Amino acid sequence: MDLDLGPEIAQYRAELRDWISAEAPDGLAELTDWNLTAIPGGYRDQSLGAALAHPAYAEWERKLAAERLICPQWPAAYGGQDLDGVRVAVLNEEFHRAGLPRVVRGMGESLVGPSIIVHGTDAQREHFLPRIISGEDTYCQGFSEPGNGSDLAGVQTRGEVDGDEIVVTGQKVWTSGAHRANMMFVLCRTDPSVPKHAGLSYVLIPFTGPGVQFRPIRQMSGAAEFAEDFLDGVRAPLFNVIGGLNNGWRVAMTTLGHERGGRATTAYLRYEREFWDLAETARKHGKVSDPLVRQDLARAWTGVQLMRFTGLRELAQVAEGRPPGPEASVSKLFWSEYHKRLGEIALGITGADGLIRPDGPGYPVTEWQNVFLSSRAGTIYSGTSEIQRTIIGERALGLPKEPKAPGQDKAQSGARP
Amino acid sequence: MNLGTSAEQQELRDAVRRFLADRAPLPRVRELMDTESGQDPEVWRQASEQLGLPGIAIPEEHGGAGFTFAEQAIVLEEAGAALYGGPYLASAVLAATALTASEDKAAMADLLPGLAAGTTIGTLAFTEDDGSWDPGTGQLAAVRSGTGRSGTGRAGTGRAGDGGWQLDGHKSFVLDGHTADLILVTARTAAGLSLFAVDAAAAGLTRTALPTLDQTRKLARLEFGAVPARLVGTDGGAAPAVAHTLDVAAIALAAEQLGGAQRALDMAVEYAKTRHQFGRAIGSFQAIKHRCADLLLEVESLRSAVGFAAAAVADGSPEVPAVASLIKAYASDTFFHVAGENIQIHGGIGFTWEHDAHLYFKRAAASQLFLGDAACHRERLATRIGL
Repeated sequence: MDLDLGPEIAQYRAELRDWISAEAPDGLAELTDWNLTAIPGGYRDQSLGAALAHPAYAEWERKLAAERLICPQWPAAYGGQDLDGVRVAVLNEEFHRAGLPRVVRGMGESLVGPSIIVHGTDAQREHFLPRIISGEDTYCQGFSEPGNGSDLAGVQTRGEVDGDEIVVTGQKVWTSGAHRANMMFVLCRTDPSVPKHAGLSYVLIPFTGPGVQFRPIRQMSGAAEFAEDFLDGVRAPLFNVIGGLNNGWRVAMTTLGHERGGRATTAYLRYEREFWDLAETARKHGKVSDPLVRQDLARAWTGVQLMRFTGLRELAQVAEGRPPGPEASVSKLFWSEYHKRLGEIALGITGADGLIRPDGPGYPVTEWQNVFLSSRAGTIYSGTSEIQRTIIGERALGLPKEPKAPGQDKAQSGARP
Repeated sequence: MNLGTSAEQQELRDAVRRFLADRAPLPRVRELMDTESGQDPEVWRQASEQLGLPGIAIPEEHGGAGFTFAEQAIVLEEAGAALYGGPYLASAVLAATALTASEDKAAMADLLPGLAAGTTIGTLAFTEDDGSWDPGTGQLAAVRSGTGRSGTGRAGTGRAGDGGWQLDGHKSFVLDGHTADLILVTARTAAGLSLFAVDAAAAGLTRTALPTLDQTRKLARLEFGAVPARLVGTDGGAAPAVAHTLDVAAIALAAEQLGGAQRALDMAVEYAKTRHQFGRAIGSFQAIKHRCADLLLEVESLRSAVGFAAAAVADGSPEVPAVASLIKAYASDTFFHVAGENIQIHGGIGFTWEHDAHLYFKRAAASQLFLGDAACHRERLATRIGL
C-alpha cells in the first residue's frame, strides 16, 4: 500500500514506473533476488556476486548514470539531481516493485558524500563527488581503533602535516569492504595538545599503495566481513582534509537533513522476505503448529511490520516537512535487536538440525546458523545498543548526561590499555 | 493511505487534551473511580454537545460528524492518556461499530443518531462467565417471542410489529454494562450467531456492577430472563460484523494504550530528571536512562502502528484483521511494560496509593486482558497471516 503523498509525487511515481519498464535490461530482475542482498550477514552473496558481474547490470548502471539516478539526492552541480527524500523513497519503492537493483555507492554515497557536500569546498566537491558517482572511488571507513570503539573521539591515529601533504599513521579496525576500497575516510589526531574532540581531522586517504596494509578479521560466523588496517605514513594532499584541520569531529558527525526519507519505506522489505523464508523453514520442520513457535513467529512478524509502520510514518513526516522525531534514532537499536532475536528463533525452529553444519573446509554454516551467529555483530557495530540507548536517552528524552570521569577530556585518555 | 497529520487533526487533539485536563483531571478520575457508575454525565454531555466526540466517526446521515477512524483514534489516545472513565470506548466504538458493521439500515437509522449525539450510551455485550473473548462460544440464547412484543424504551430498540425476540442467559465483563442505555448483545439462534439490541430498561434484565481491578474502567454482569430484544442484521449472520467490530475495538483500545503508555513514560522521564540521589539526577545513571530509551522505542513503535492501523480502518483495508491482532498484542505488552517501569523508576512513592502511577499500571493490566491478552492475539495473528 503506497502512502498518499499528493498529486506531484503520484505523477513522479508514474513517470518513474514508465521509465523503468521501458529501460530495464532484459533478464536483469531474474539474475538474483536484488531485494534480499542487503541483509547484514545475509546468505545470498554468491548469486549476488555473479549478478553484479553480469553485462545486464553494467548496462543498467550506465543507464542510471545517464539519467542521473546514481546518488540522485546530491546537488545537480555535482552529478546528482537534488532529489528530495520523498522522491528517493519513491525511487526505492519502484525499483523494489520491479525487482531491480538501485545502484548505490556504499559509504561513499551514505557517509563521505554528505560530509563533503556540507563541509567541503567547491573544489573538493567538484573533485570527489563525481568520482563517487562514477564508481571510480570506493570508500571504506577508518574510524574505530583497537583502543577506541564506542569512545570514538579518543582516536590515536596521527595525522602530521608535511608541507602540502598530510601523513597518516596508526591502526584502524572493523573496516568493512576494505578489499573493495581504493580510498579510506579516516579520523585522525592532528593536534594532540587540545581536548580530545577538538584535535581531530577528517581525511580522505588512498587505500592502495605504500603504507597501507590490511588483514581480514574472521568473525564467529566464519565469515570475514571486516578488516584491521595498518597505516604507516600514508600520504595524501592537504586538499583531502574535509572541513579544515582539527574540525574532523563535526565532519564525522554529519548527516544530511534532506536525505531523510530515502530508504524509510523499503528497508523493512528484506526482513519481510527473510520472515517468510523462516515461516517456510518452520513448515518443513513440522513446527508451524507448535504454539510456542507460533508465538515467536508472530513476535517476529510484529517486529517486521513495526519497521514498516515506522518507515511509513517517517516518510509522511518528511513529506509534510516536519522535523525528525525520535523514530529516526531508534531504528538502529530496533533492527539490530530484532535481528539478533530472529536468529535465536530461527536456530530454535531448525531444532536438532541446528547442531550440524554443512560439510566442507573452513566453517561453512547454514543460512539460519549464519543469521544466528552474524546477527550478534549488529548490536555492536555502528554504535552499540548501549551507545544508542544513551543517545536516545539524552537527545530524544532530554535526560542528563553522566558526569565525566576525571581526565576524560584529555586527548590521550584513549590510550588506556 | 494517508498518514499525515492535518491542521484539523492537530486542533482536535489539542481541544480534547485541554477538555480532559480541565474537566476530567486525575483528581476527578479518582473521585469517580470510587463511585459505582464511574460516570460524570455532565462531562459526557459537554464532550458530546461541545466537541461532538461520540459521533466523530459516525456518518453524517446518522447524525455524526462523518470523520474517519483516524480522527477517532486521536480522541481515544487522549482519553487513554487521561485515564478517562467515560463510556467512549463502549458507546462510540463498540456499540457504534457493531451497528454500522451490521449494515442493518433500519437499526442504524433508529439507533446511531442517539449514539452520535451522546444522548444514548451504548455498549456491546459479547463475553460470558467463562471469560472467552470469542463471541462464537457464547451460550446466551435468542428465540422468536412470537408475540410481536418488543422493547419500546428510550433507546427505541423496538418498533411495533417488527416481530420480537427474547433473550435468555447471561453476559459478563460488559464494558459500562450497568450504565449503558442500549446494549447490543451477541446471542445464538437456531441459525447461528446473531446480534440483538436491548433496551437497558427492558423487563427481565438484571445488571450488576463488578468490582474491577482497574477502578477507572467499569464492567458489569448482565442476566437475561426472557428479555425482549430487536434483531440487528440478519438472523445467524452476525459473525462477520461482530468480528470486524472486535478488530476495530482492538485498534481503538491500542490507541488508548498508546496514550496511557506515553503519559506513563512522560511521568517516568520527568521524575528521572528531577529526582536526585548520590548527588545527581537519577536519569543520568545508565540503569535508568537506558530503561527509558527502551521504553521510548516501544512507545514510538506503537505510535507508528496506531497511525497505520487507524488509517487502515479508515481506508477499509483488508489488512485490518491482521493489524488488529498485531497491535493489540504489542500495545498490551508496551503499555504494561511502561506502566511497570514507571513504578520502578519512581521508587518508594511509585507503589503508594497516593501516587498516580498505580492508576496507569492497573489500566495497563486491565487493557492487556480486555479483548484478549497478548498471547491470544499473537496466536490469532499467526493464523491471520496464514501460518
